[in-house]
Amino acid sequence: MTDIITSIIAGGVLLSVTILFVSIGEVYNEKAGVINLGLEAIITLAAFVGLWVTFKTGNFFLGTLAAIVAGAGVGLIHSFTCVKMRVNQLIAGLLILSLANGLANFLNFTANQETVPIVTILPDIYIPFLSDIPVLGEILFQHNLFVYLAYFLAIVFGLILYKTTWGLKIRAVGENPEACDAAGINVNLIRHLCDIFSGAMAGLAGAFLSLGYLGLYDSAMAGNRGWIAIIVVIFSRWSPFRAILGSLIFGIGFSIASNLIGAGLIASYWIYLINAMPYIVALVVIVLFRGTTRAPSALTVPYWRK
Amino acid sequence: MAKKYLNYLSYPIGLFLAIIVFSVTLLLLGYDPISALVSIPTGAFGNPNSFSETLIRFIPLLLTAMAFLIALKARFMNLGIEGQLYIGALLAYLVGARMELVSSFIAIPLIFIAGFMGGVLWLAIPLIMKTKLGINEIFPTVVMNFIAMFLIAWLTIGPLKDPASFNPRTYFLPESTWLPLIDLIFVAYVFISIFGLAVTIKMYLKWKERKVHPMLYLALVFTFLTLTIITLSMGLLEAIEAITIGEYSIYRLHVGVFLVVIIALIIYMILYKTTIGYKIRAVGQNPRASEHGGVNVTRVVITAGLLSGGVAGLAGFMEVFGVHHYLISGFSPGFGYIGIAVAALGIFHPIGVIFTAFFFAVLQIGGESMQRGAGIPVDIIFIMQAVLVLTVLIVQKWMTTRNSS
Repeated sequence: MTDIITSIIAGGVLLSVTILFVSIGEVYNEKAGVINLGLEAIITLAAFVGLWVTFKTGNFFLGTLAAIVAGAGVGLIHSFTCVKMRVNQLIAGLLILSLANGLANFLNFTANQETVPIVTILPDIYIPFLSDIPVLGEILFQHNLFVYLAYFLAIVFGLILYKTTWGLKIRAVGENPEACDAAGINVNLIRHLCDIFSGAMAGLAGAFLSLGYLGLYDSAMAGNRGWIAIIVVIFSRWSPFRAILGSLIFGIGFSIASNLIGAGLIASYWIYLINAMPYIVALVVIVLFRGTTRAPSALTVPYWRK
Repeated sequence: MAKKYLNYLSYPIGLFLAIIVFSVTLLLLGYDPISALVSIPTGAFGNPNSFSETLIRFIPLLLTAMAFLIALKARFMNLGIEGQLYIGALLAYLVGARMELVSSFIAIPLIFIAGFMGGVLWLAIPLIMKTKLGINEIFPTVVMNFIAMFLIAWLTIGPLKDPASFNPRTYFLPESTWLPLIDLIFVAYVFISIFGLAVTIKMYLKWKERKVHPMLYLALVFTFLTLTIITLSMGLLEAIEAITIGEYSIYRLHVGVFLVVIIALIIYMILYKTTIGYKIRAVGQNPRASEHGGVNVTRVVITAGLLSGGVAGLAGFMEVFGVHHYLISGFSPGFGYIGIAVAALGIFHPIGVIFTAFFFAVLQIGGESMQRGAGIPVDIIFIMQAVLVLTVLIVQKWMTTRNSS
């Protein structure tokens, strides 16, 4: 029994990494007043780009960098459309979704005509001493570089958002852009940067999926994690620290069904009903905690000098 | 007035840019863009079968776009159309599967209502959360999509699965509940007569105003009236023949193609010719002002939302009862999301959306035939659609802001 629980939680930690990467970026984005619904497809596109570059050059860092650049590029398209041209953010996000998804599958189809790109996934790093702790070691300290990076970045960016002037500016821009503009802050520059940053983080998440988790490309590999990240951001009430908790809840929630089926305890079709549970929990939590916090005031509202 | 026409200029610009992106992408990756571009219209209209497929694809695109725009008119972002579509299909299936012994004249209207109610039910939860609890609709609508998708997957792989099939699908529905197939020529007759009738009425009204030379309009009225009467009588003959001989169409096109156009026209009438439609648009323009003007904003948003959910549910009903004839997991390739792009391209106007939905259907079916023929993946079509709509939106926004300031 402990074996199953350990493997559920360890699997959950691994599954939460993609969600966590994306939610860090999206927290920044939404704090500055922009929501990007196309993250799901940015993950897919970046996963392919990262995989292909790593496959061609054999250099894992180049691949990760390429994935980040690809994600940031799509983020730039989104920020140009919504921040500069002030098109409705939600509609633009859904169009970006279609664009990036199409591009990823198209490039994959073309690449597959030569060879199917496959890479060996990044090896797990066993942290000395800590990984020898009986249960906790397997859960926390036997993962690859990306996993540690995700949790490290969540804390770093959480501190930046709440303890530095940059973070203050970002939060202010999402709450009251007029006042920020009057105070001499370049509102739209900050929003552009946050949107590009959220694209880049989605790119990093894509790199983790293809280079640190699967080692190949599949059109459904993002597995709704981009959407879940948007849910987690709202669920964790726009805080990178609480996003760790939120993504762990979803990660462990998705890990339960596959582990129970793997152990032969339930029939395989139950995976769908059990996987729906985290969403229902999120819905209930939002209803229960509706009074405690609210979205950034200027979320989805474009800013320009009238 | 001039501004309105300038807005239409965004379409050629968008189309031009979309074709440029399409061609450059294909050229860079070593395909032939000219033959690919030519194969899209031939794939969509080339033969009766492909034209029938285009019209079949037109049905869910139009309905989902309509669903989005009704809610948007009342400033409610319905991102949960995908989920409402699935639950509409599910409820319609549950009712339809028990209609084996019922005449189709009674069964199909009942199932139609069930599909509508399914969508309404699934949107009711986000709607209540928005209007009563003040929770932004983006979160609940997106979450409800996933719950619906998982629910359908669980049902079609688990309890409702047809054990004889390898696919995640249910048993076939009783044949009496299938939406009747129709003949392509009949569709052409009916659409030409509707078009002729519309032009006749419009011209007659203008003739009564006597603003310009009346004889011109009178001539046009007679031309179109004759056209309408001829096509209508030929269509009726065709229908009588089909009914008396008991002949079935060999194509998959079903009667839904008429229903959706009628639904779109009804929605147009509701939104632009009735009091409730006026209230919906007023709330969308300025909720606070309409509140002061004595409009019950909550009730208006709920009305628009429920109408939107119902129309989305109908899309699921028509896909299941018209095309598949069973409930299958993942039968919608993201119609709920594509519908939003269709609505945006049609400037959120019910009549404009009819044309853009048809255009998207042409692109998609043409693209699928291009994939089979030239071996170019259909994904390039999705890129092209996104570029087209993004450009159109950007250009329109740019023109309105430039003119206003």
